[in-house]
Order: sequence, then C-alpha cells, then structure tokens
Amino acid sequence: MKRWSKWSQLAVGTAGLAVTVGLSFLIAVALIFLLSRQPLNTIRYFFIGPFTNRYYLGNMLNSAVPLVFTGLGMAVAFKSSVFNLGGEGQVYSGALVTTVICLALPQAGGYAGGLAALAGSLACGAILAGLSGFFKMKWGTDELISSFLISAAVGFIVNYFITGPLDDPANNLLASYAIGEQYFLAGIFPPSKLNVSSGFAVLAAAAVFFLLNYTHTGYEMRMCGLNREFSRYGGINVSAYIVLPMVLSGALHGLAGGLAILGTQHMAVKEFSFGMGWNGIAVSLIAKNHPLAVIPAAVFFAWLEAGAKAAMLHSDVTFEIAAIVQAVIFYLVTAQAIYSAVRRRRVRV
Amino acid sequence: MAYLRMRGITKLYPENNVLANADVDFEVRRNEIHALVGENGAGKTTLMKILYGLERADRGYIELEDRPVHISSPLAANRLGIGMVHQHFRLIPEFSIAENVVLGIEPRRRGLFLDREGAVSRVRAVIQEYGFSIDPTLRVRELTVGQMQLVEILKILYRRVQLLILDEPTSVLTEQQIHRLFQTLRHLRKIGKTVIIITHKLGEVKDISQRVTVMRGGRVVAVRETAQVDERELSRLMVGKSVSLQVRREPAARGRPVLELEGVSLLARGQDHPLLDGVDLCVHAGEIVGVAGVSGNGLAELEDVASGLRRVSSGRILLGGRDITRLAVRELRQRGLAYVPADRLHRGSSLASSVMENMIIASHHRFLRGGVFRRREVEGFADELAANFSIEGDPRVPIGTLSGGNIQKVILARELASRTDFILFSEPTWGLDVASSEFIYERLMEIRRQGLAILLLSSNLDEIMSLADTLVVMYRGRVVACLANSAEVTKELIGEYMLGLREDRS
Repeated sequence: MKRWSKWSQLAVGTAGLAVTVGLSFLIAVALIFLLSRQPLNTIRYFFIGPFTNRYYLGNMLNSAVPLVFTGLGMAVAFKSSVFNLGGEGQVYSGALVTTVICLALPQAGGYAGGLAALAGSLACGAILAGLSGFFKMKWGTDELISSFLISAAVGFIVNYFITGPLDDPANNLLASYAIGEQYFLAGIFPPSKLNVSSGFAVLAAAAVFFLLNYTHTGYEMRMCGLNREFSRYGGINVSAYIVLPMVLSGALHGLAGGLAILGTQHMAVKEFSFGMGWNGIAVSLIAKNHPLAVIPAAVFFAWLEAGAKAAMLHSDVTFEIAAIVQAVIFYLVTAQAIYSAVRRRRVRV
Repeated sequence: MAYLRMRGITKLYPENNVLANADVDFEVRRNEIHALVGENGAGKTTLMKILYGLERADRGYIELEDRPVHISSPLAANRLGIGMVHQHFRLIPEFSIAENVVLGIEPRRRGLFLDREGAVSRVRAVIQEYGFSIDPTLRVRELTVGQMQLVEILKILYRRVQLLILDEPTSVLTEQQIHRLFQTLRHLRKIGKTVIIITHKLGEVKDISQRVTVMRGGRVVAVRETAQVDERELSRLMVGKSVSLQVRREPAARGRPVLELEGVSLLARGQDHPLLDGVDLCVHAGEIVGVAGVSGNGLAELEDVASGLRRVSSGRILLGGRDITRLAVRELRQRGLAYVPADRLHRGSSLASSVMENMIIASHHRFLRGGVFRRREVEGFADELAANFSIEGDPRVPIGTLSGGNIQKVILARELASRTDFILFSEPTWGLDVASSEFIYERLMEIRRQGLAILLLSSNLDEIMSLADTLVVMYRGRVVACLANSAEVTKELIGEYMLGLREDRS
C-alpha cells in the first residue's frame, strides 16, 4: 500500500506537469495567432514539423544527445548540492580537446583514436570543473562563481585556437580542420545526423542512475547534497563530496562536447556549442534531477528547438517570435519543475 | 463569563493526513492563568497557532468577549490584544533589547529614521510599568535565556496585549529562571492580563495555573480547576494511562575508564573567555555521567568536541586509553563512535531522506559488495531496527514524515546498533512526550547494565538527577562540580552550581 502511494504521488506529479505543459502550449498557440499571419501553418510546423520526415526527426533526436549529457552533468551536481555554472566552457573545451587529439593522430585506428579523443574531452571537463571544487574545498571559494568565471575565460581560449592555429583556410568557416573520417561515429538513421552517440546518451543516463541510487559513492553524494552536517556526523568525508560531484559533472559536460565533434560536427566550429551548458540546467530542472527523466526532458527541449527552426523555415515567423514562443513554454515548465522540487523539500516535521 | 471561546475547531494537515484538532472546544476566563497540557502531537500548539492567526482552522469559530472574531494573521491577533511567545525565540541577537521590542512598530523621526532614544525610553517605560528590571540598551546576544524570554514577553506587552500565549516557556530555563518567570506571570495576572501557558511539566501546571485543559490526540479530554486535580490524574488524562515518571535504577557496576578528557580547552575568535576551559572528565564502563548546565556555558561545545566534530584547542581526549584527539569523525565512526545529538532534525537526521537511508549513515560500509549496496541486507537491517525499537511506518518513507518521538527512536536505534563501548547522548528527550521519554530512559538503563560508558548532556535537571551516577555541572566553560549522585544532592544545589553561585574547583 505504501508502494502504491509512492506511485500515486508520481502520477500526481506527472499530471501536474502535463497540465502546465498543456497550459503553456495554449499560451504558445495564442501567441502564434497574435504574431503570425498564417497561424495554422506556423502551428503545424512548430509542433509537428520535427516529426514530418526522417531527416527532421533524426536531427531533432541528435540535438537532444548533448543535452542528455549536460542535463546529467547538472543532475549530478544538483543532487550533491554543488553548482556547476561552467557547463558552457566545459562542453566547448571538451570539443576542442577531442578535435585536437583527432587531428594529432591522423594515422591511429578509429576505435583507439576515438576513445583517446573522448577520454581527452572527458578529462578536460573534469579538470575544469574539478578545479572549482578543489578551490571550494581548499579556500571556500564559491564554486558557482568560480566555475562560471573559469568557463568564460576558457571560451575565449578555445575561440583563439579555432580561429587561429587550428583554422582551416580552405573551408571559409570560423572552424578548425575536419577530423579524419575514421573517427566519425556511425550514423543510424540516414539521412539524418543521428548516430551511435544517442546510444551512449542512454547508457550514460542509466549509469548515472545506477551510480546515484545503488552505489556507496552515490549514497554518500546524495546524503552530502541533502544535509552536509548530518553526513559529517555520520562519518562521511564531506569535503571529498564537494570535489567529486564537480569532477563528474565536468566529465559529462566535456563528453557532450567530444561526442558532438565525433558524431555531428566533425570539426570544431566557433561557438557551435553555445547554449548546450545552460540548456543542461533547464533540462535537469524539468527532469527534477532524475537521471532517467533527463532523456525525455532533453528530447522535449530538442523538439521545441527543432519546431522553432521548422516554423521559421516554412512559415512567416521570425527568429524573435520563435524564441518568444519557446521561452513561454520553457518558463512555465521550468517554473513548475522548480515549484514541485521546492515543495518536495518541505517535509513536515 | 468566558473571555475567549473557541468552538468546534477542526484542523487537518493534508500533507501527512494528521487531524491535529478534532472538534475542539476551548474556553479561557478573563484574568486567569490557563494551562494547556498534552503530549507531543496532542494539538496544543496547532490550537494556539489558530488562535494567533498562524494557521487557519478548517472548521469552527472564535469568540472574544462574546463577539465573533476572524483572526487571519498575527497582526490581526495583535490588534485584538492577543500576543504569543514562541517556544523558539524570535529575536535578533545583534539588536538591543529596545530595538527587538519595537521591531515592526518602531517610533520614527521625520517619518523615516529610527528614533533610537525614543525606542529606549518607551521600552524603559514599559519595563517600569510592569515592574521588571532590565536595561533596554543591552544586546540580546549578551542575555541569558531567561532574559531573552523576558524580552519576548516585553515585545507583546509593548503591543498592549491583553491575552498572552506562552508555548512551552520553561523548556530552556533553569529552576531559578522558571521561578522568576512564574512571578512575572502572576504579576501580569494581578494587573488584569490573561495568560495561556502550554507545557509538558505537570508540576508547573499545579504551581502556576487556575484552570487546566488537557488535550490528547487532537481532542480536549478534560477541563479542570487546577486545585481539584493532582499530578497523577493529569498524567493519566494526558497519556490515557498511568505513567510512573520514576526510573528504576540499580547501583552502578563501575568498570574501567572508557572516555577521558584531560584539560580540554576550546578557544574561539571573538570570545573573551574560552568556550571550554580545561575540562577534565572521565566516564567509566557501566556508568552514566550526567552533565548539566545552562545553555551557553559549554554543553554544546562539549558535545561537539566529544563527538569529534570540532577540534580542541588544547588538551587530550582518550577512548579506551588511546588518544583520539586528532581523529576525524570518519575514523571515530569506524572505531564505533555512537552519538545521539541534541540537534536531531538537522545533525541527527536528513529529513528528506528515507528512514532506511537515515539508518545506515554510519554503517553503510557494512552492506557493500564492490561498491554496490546489497539491497536485501540493507532492508533486512532497517526492518530489524524498526521492529526492535517499535518504529512505526515503512522504512522507505522520508524520515521527516515521522513524529518527533519516532525520529528520535530511529536515531537511537541506529546509534545503539553500532558496536561500541562509549555513547554520547545530548538532550535525548528534549521536546518528547512522556511515553517516548520513558522508552529512551529504559534503553539507557539497559545499555548501562550491558557495561557501556554513557555521557549524558541535558538541560533537564530531573532527567540528569534520576539517571546519572555522576553529576557534572558546567559554568562558563568550566567544570564547577563533579558529584556522586545521592539523595543529598538536591535540585537547588545543582541550580546554584549552574548559575555560578557555587564552585568546587580550587
């Protein structure tokens, strides 16, 4: 019976979210009627556009992949009550490191080289975020500020490499040389860009879920996240759990960048990853920091993104209008997510 | 006749489906001190919160001087002449007494600036009017707990309140301070005020009140003239059965020394005197050492130091003859440190986590295989503890949904499961009802028989005096008395040590 009540709670929570989503869609539709001269067309492309053909559908799912990783990165941090606001720089620099490794090893085999490249991106993100965690442990520096500042600085450094030493003059883009074809991740849904990294995303979500809920490390991480004083009292090495969640969070962000290079971009384009870090925060909030729920949340986000693009392409809406409609849906859904998260925290004594 | 009448008050907390008040009728006469008694969770505080506008009743109505009133907020309650002193003080330590008292209705200069002198003189006038003696320019930080309570009372008197509600006002006070508080209340009654006092302590009911209302399980079970009931009957009404408050105590079988503190001092920045000042203490196997003291005199620091959560500035701590002064809590836990903290809701448990997760905080290393939990063993452990300590409910629900008594049982169960020869208790029964307290006393006696060394820190003198074999009193960070418990040791004597009127140390 107690089990049942847990399920019923979940059902109530989901119903609440559904109502908000429905409401936000209604407002979005109203906005479209107001702002578009061919509203029905716009609505069609906005909401259904991403499902109309294999190309759109595959690309939409593919753009959800980095969001799954960054969303997981944020979920790990939030569950441990640390804040990693450096996602942007970690994704971007992870992508750069992957590109550099691939370019430096043109002769290596696909698997070994690819693994090395991904390991590099993972390590890069882990170090960047871990640094903030270390500062916090050592000197009490607020990791929220330090991670953001480090990430902002790193962004400029990556820009320098992409537009400077690595810039390929042949492609007329602000982008690096392309990586060798042996590194490309196999496509699974042609003609779209969807590739095997989507499988990795699902595996990563499962791994994070397992780590948090079934292992000793995950338990200590969650306990430190919920109540540091209690954890210290219980004999948990709490300072380690400032650094570790940051390291994990950074590693997942770095991996998002690395996989985007191997799977989708095949070269480091200037500011290609803009927004992936920030959107990870939103994805994690919608998923209520639940690692498995991060997957649908990321797809939801990618759907809105793809819908906005399709509506811009096929109807008369401008980028601004699409962004406004997107923002309205987003604000409402995130607000609901935050609200219920806060409500869950307030347990009666 | 009745000054205040509450009729058919019903309040359901839907979050945990608790009917806190079920059709409660409550009446207070003008100019009386009315005691409202009941165990934890009997609904006393909820009823008073409704009266004070902090909670809204689902059903029922309130009449003041035969006129129906609608109390939607504490502000509305103040306007009707109702004021409340909460169990936990709501004062700003950095502000002076006067500033705290006028907070919210400050006298102003040119409509904008705080008129400090005006505030002080007005508060001084109120202090004189009611015959208190305290300097309104003192900072609240520097006051004793008893004085802080006086500031809370001043706060509501300043607002010209006729009806004062005091929620467990004596729980943090010493004997002498309680005596002083009661004098104040009697004085207030004499000049025409009406007082409602919530309490657990039956002796106080007899001492101070004219009438008493007893609540149990959200209902009023009796209303009596205080003169016509005795403590036993009140106790029976409260718990529904007769409970003996006496603990059976066999003579101590004192063994080897287990925990020893040698000259332990703790200094802190910004403090003119050490928080702990050369504390020597020894707890033997099979012995309960009870430490008493008014808050702010080193008990909390002793708790932190003995549990390893705070490093000493100088001195040594030995456990079973081995130096543990510099060990981290983690290492102490591995050696079996068991500790029931005073702050059970923040330090002793993680409210949003499940009962099960709370139970394994110190012992989860035992349930691992390759870093992964063996679920079945964890669940078995949780079920076993729940059964042994008769903890109600599913171990998978958040511990924050349990009652205070059950939370403490979870903590107790967890700490006693640790294989150890020393255990530290701090305020183990604070705020608990009679039945839960008795349960804890029985367990304490049981582990004492098993030969554990027990250090008990408590502000409840009755508890210390009925449980401890050795009584230690702390004052300003120093041990001022260390006495073998016997019939000659009286509450008044301990109180004198606690207030620094007496000292044994050379």
